[in-house]
Amino acid sequence: MKEVMAFIRQNKINRTKEALAEAGFPSFTCRKCLGRGKKSVDYSLVKSLIEDGEMPLTQSAEALTESSRLIPKRFFTLVVDDTEVQKVVKTIIDVNSTGNPGDGKIFVIPILESYRVRDGERDVDSIN
Amino acid sequence: MRFTQEVTYMLLVRAIIRPEKVSIVLSELLSAGFPAVTKMDVFGRGRQKGLKIGDVFYDEIPKEMLLCVVRDEDKDDVVNVIMRNARTGEKGNFGDGRIFISPVEDAYTISNGKQGL
Repeated sequence: MKEVMAFIRQNKINRTKEALAEAGFPSFTCRKCLGRGKKSVDYSLVKSLIEDGEMPLTQSAEALTESSRLIPKRFFTLVVDDTEVQKVVKTIIDVNSTGNPGDGKIFVIPILESYRVRDGERDVDSIN
Repeated sequence: MRFTQEVTYMLLVRAIIRPEKVSIVLSELLSAGFPAVTKMDVFGRGRQKGLKIGDVFYDEIPKEMLLCVVRDEDKDDVVNVIMRNARTGEKGNFGDGRIFISPVEDAYTISNGKQGL
């Protein structure tokens, strides 16, 4: 089993969910996170948007102006069988790729064991 | 899309640290040459079973989790930077946090589909 861990744009979550459900991977975990990548972001644009009042000063805007300068993203993770990894990775890349920096990253991490809490099924049985 | 296998060893560094130490750790990681990092709010307790203040017992202490994936050879640098800067006082205290390292088999950049870091 492998854990596919993707950091993607906030507005792509719905389409990623649909695409993965269609490809036969309905289960996943998703949470809000902040982060930064290799490239530095030009914040002067965002700053001017906030000052002109075109962008509401929401939590994400606050995060942009704070000193650590992190960008809000979604942390999307699911555990799949070894043979399905390439399919999941391809689905996520196809849906999320805009060709611009900041689309995110995908990491594949080995999972040694898994259990289903309800009935104690283990490993591949517990994720299928 | 074709995926080519690239033999590099990558590691996921998961550091759970004090929220007030996040900004110093982030800026030190940046100046050490590790800009890419993700931050999450988490709650948890450690080996001390939480905190007891007076009669009140706190076992869900707010912490921040930093995630970053680095090359094998950079692991010690990243761990040292986090360890040095997330510590409180000279010798450190309970509750300064923990760092976990796990292997990463593959990494993809979504914008161009390239494999590797």
